[in-house]
Amino acid sequence: MKKVGLSFNVNGKEVDLEIHPNTMLVDLLRDTLRLTGTKEGCREGECGACTVLLDGLAVNSCLIPALKAQGKSVVTIEGLAEADGQLDSLQQYFMTEGAVQCGFCTPGMILNAKSLLERIPDPDEQEIRHAISGVLCRCTGYQKIVDAIKAARNDKGQTPQG
Amino acid sequence: MNAPFDLILREHAMNEKSEKKKKVKTLTKERVDLQKLSRIMSGGLSLAGQSAVRTDARRKVTGTQLYGADYAPDGFLHGKILRSPHPHALIKSINSDKARALPGVVAVLTAKDIPGRNGFGAIIPDQPVICEDKVRFVGDGVALVAAETEKAAQEALSLIEVDYEPLPAVFDPREALKKDAPKIHEKGNLLSYNKLRKGDLDKGFVQAEVVLERTYQVPFLDHAYLEPDICMAVPQQDGVMLVEGPMQAPFTVRRNINAVLGVPINRVRVRQIPMGGGFGGKEDSPIDLGCRAAVLAYRTGRPVRMSLEREEVVLQTCKRHPMIMKVKIGAKKNGSLVAFHGVIYDEQGAYASLGPIIPPAGGSHIHSMIMMAGPYEIPNVHVDAYLVYTNHPYGGAMRGFGAPQVHIAHEQIIDELAVQLGMSPLDIRRKNGFRKGSATATGQVLDQSVGLLDSLEACAKRFDWDRKYKNRGYVDEQRTKRRGLGVGMGWYRTSIGTGGDACGANVHVHEDGSVLLFTGITEMGQGSYTVLPQICAEELGVCLEDVRYVTPDTDIVPEAGPTVGSRSTTLMGNAIILAARQVKKSILEAASEILAVPADRLEARDRNIFDREAPGRGITFKEAAAKCMATGKRLIGQGWWAPPTPSLDPETGQGNPYFVYTYATHMAEVIVDVETGEVAITDYAAAFDVGKAINPRALEGQIEGGVAMGMGYALMEKIVTEAGYIQNLSLRNYLIPTALDVPGIKSVIIEVENKYGPYGAKGIGEMPNIPATPAILNAISDACGGRIRTLPADSESVFRAIQEAGGPPDK
Repeated sequence: MKKVGLSFNVNGKEVDLEIHPNTMLVDLLRDTLRLTGTKEGCREGECGACTVLLDGLAVNSCLIPALKAQGKSVVTIEGLAEADGQLDSLQQYFMTEGAVQCGFCTPGMILNAKSLLERIPDPDEQEIRHAISGVLCRCTGYQKIVDAIKAARNDKGQTPQG
Repeated sequence: MNAPFDLILREHAMNEKSEKKKKVKTLTKERVDLQKLSRIMSGGLSLAGQSAVRTDARRKVTGTQLYGADYAPDGFLHGKILRSPHPHALIKSINSDKARALPGVVAVLTAKDIPGRNGFGAIIPDQPVICEDKVRFVGDGVALVAAETEKAAQEALSLIEVDYEPLPAVFDPREALKKDAPKIHEKGNLLSYNKLRKGDLDKGFVQAEVVLERTYQVPFLDHAYLEPDICMAVPQQDGVMLVEGPMQAPFTVRRNINAVLGVPINRVRVRQIPMGGGFGGKEDSPIDLGCRAAVLAYRTGRPVRMSLEREEVVLQTCKRHPMIMKVKIGAKKNGSLVAFHGVIYDEQGAYASLGPIIPPAGGSHIHSMIMMAGPYEIPNVHVDAYLVYTNHPYGGAMRGFGAPQVHIAHEQIIDELAVQLGMSPLDIRRKNGFRKGSATATGQVLDQSVGLLDSLEACAKRFDWDRKYKNRGYVDEQRTKRRGLGVGMGWYRTSIGTGGDACGANVHVHEDGSVLLFTGITEMGQGSYTVLPQICAEELGVCLEDVRYVTPDTDIVPEAGPTVGSRSTTLMGNAIILAARQVKKSILEAASEILAVPADRLEARDRNIFDREAPGRGITFKEAAAKCMATGKRLIGQGWWAPPTPSLDPETGQGNPYFVYTYATHMAEVIVDVETGEVAITDYAAAFDVGKAINPRALEGQIEGGVAMGMGYALMEKIVTEAGYIQNLSLRNYLIPTALDVPGIKSVIIEVENKYGPYGAKGIGEMPNIPATPAILNAISDACGGRIRTLPADSESVFRAIQEAGGPPDK
């Protein structure tokens, strides 16, 4: 199969690549760009572990052909912290609220929450639960994840250091 | 898990007469002084009891934690398994010529290529690494392929020609026990029959004024851990086979691989990679993948990577055992339980996995038998438990190891009994629940750390049971939605009930005060990489960040047994304390020399060592460590701890199978739509006697996650099979609870000190999963009047149960 050009922005960096047109975004990120923070649990959009932000919207990267990212920006879990290592407040509160157990769903959870808070700065519990309902977690029962998102929502720039 | 196979097989023989009845002994007190010692220094605990942030949290929120699939696959061959398309068939011939000829294919292996024993299994090695003449379930491995690319390996599978002769298959344990049933294994389909005999059952039922008989049925469940299985086998230059992957039991994996390769144990090295969830499933599946990857690596001489797709995980790996449970219970009119008879048809599926007994009380089947009469003192109890092979996938460990199933039976029948007696579901439990001094169904006298009834009262208070109880009934004017409450009580062991339950730990302190902690306890999300270092740091008097937990590697860490049975914090915690104390002795001696203060007056906390009588006078831990190094004092500690010896008479099921238990009470409020059968859980509280919470926030995480999993079991989860074929191989149709299904959970932690535990702790990992399911089922019944005795309680089942009960109540 003939390769085609793909230019997009990943975690703030412009990337130019030649890819097979049937490459899925998750494979491009994990195998080609070695951004393995994006997880793969099912490859059919059921588990949400592969969630990334595509122009700010949370999408399952296992369902998105990489070419859909043409000219757009993609943020993965590796791109959420500041360049100086300062974590996003969601990352901080996921740590301090105990929202992380095995960690396999964590990138998907955090990125869905990020997308939510960008769209709705002050979501209620139901909106939070709805926003993360596409990401499965088998460890936490979701409670501390919801707590962490609420804490990030309420944060007024006073992120705890964990 | 450590009993040699010949011993297991001998104990396992069906018709063997056991030796004469052994007397039940009380637990030995040989190791009690450990607890006393752990308090010597203490002006209160510094770290144990604190909700420290997980040591791996930063890696996990930044995406830098590497899981198995994140290791670069460069240089690896890709291994694939050709699986049986039949539930039961003879293999007449295999032709792999075309597959071998495919470019990129490096090896196609069949049974004759296995260098050593062609069998693996956590307890009995009855599952072929590659089937030779017969397949026993859809998914059995009949050939292995290694190729340069995953695509070539996949294509090679389709080119292998296997000639099968299908055999009649059997899918119900009761059918499989019949004389003319298809024989799955040479020795027959009954893998194990176990019995428990306490008191005089006939006399008990004569005394009973109310007798109930019920049958409860539970399906296969999938663990649904989010990380699919993966394994890498890498031949080393010195002839050692290195096997790496997410796994709960590196020592069990090693014990299988060495036999399959036909080499001594010390020629195999197994290294754990932190898991994306395990829940018992990754005790077993890494044995399977590990043996197969190792054989491919052995035959090709090259590194081999085997990773499973989601559907392969569901197809190939173990499940929670399905059971048919018949219960007959007898009580006095005042609610006193006098007789209990349980019969368990425990479906093992095609292979033994973790089902059969490891004497005296290991294996999931014997555990189900022991737990079946519940946390209630009943003078006359019989349990007959059959563990039966079928042509289904096989049952293994899943969060509760045979206990969740039987709790669904005893917690429902006691509720049904309470209704019959006109008693409140709490009062019948108050009357019969274990308290200190109670004797269990195995005749074990519970002489310490029995917080069952404390958990009931604390839960009722937190849940506001009494007020809620008065507000049951319809919630809407149209009388379509009805509110109900349910309670579930439970107990769970902290150990595996075998002689092989010991834990070893090594603690190395360095001259800069930093610490290495070596244990074989693995991380699957439960938090062992945080809680165990907390115990180490507490004991040494350093900070949590000073301790680095070494990733378990069988070449480096001492034997620990598997990370199962809710045993890690308690058993390994004790071993760590003993190891740390050896170093601490040196540290205090060095400090004593520097400060000219007797060592017994010194206290070490938070990196400082000071004179208890003059707290201003002290040195740092680092200075003391440097002094030890400079003066040749021992800075390496080795700890070894085994729980009091378990016992269980094989003829009577009487003995002390496990040395301590965790207790819990759960309460659920549900609203059932009586016209559609739809269930919403609207409130939930759960209280646990855990002995001592080492990290309360992590413990709450175990509670909340366990409860959510129990909700799935109650309401939606079921592996559906049709003539041996799993119908829901995907997370699209095997549903687990989402954030919208699980309500907020109110956790209550109670600490009734366990004298055998580190700072009084006992296990928690599995307990939260167990009473959740019956608490919800009882609430549904209270709300709608119908009773769901075959799981799950999906809308259709609830709707039918309402119809069977004669329609919605009060309508």
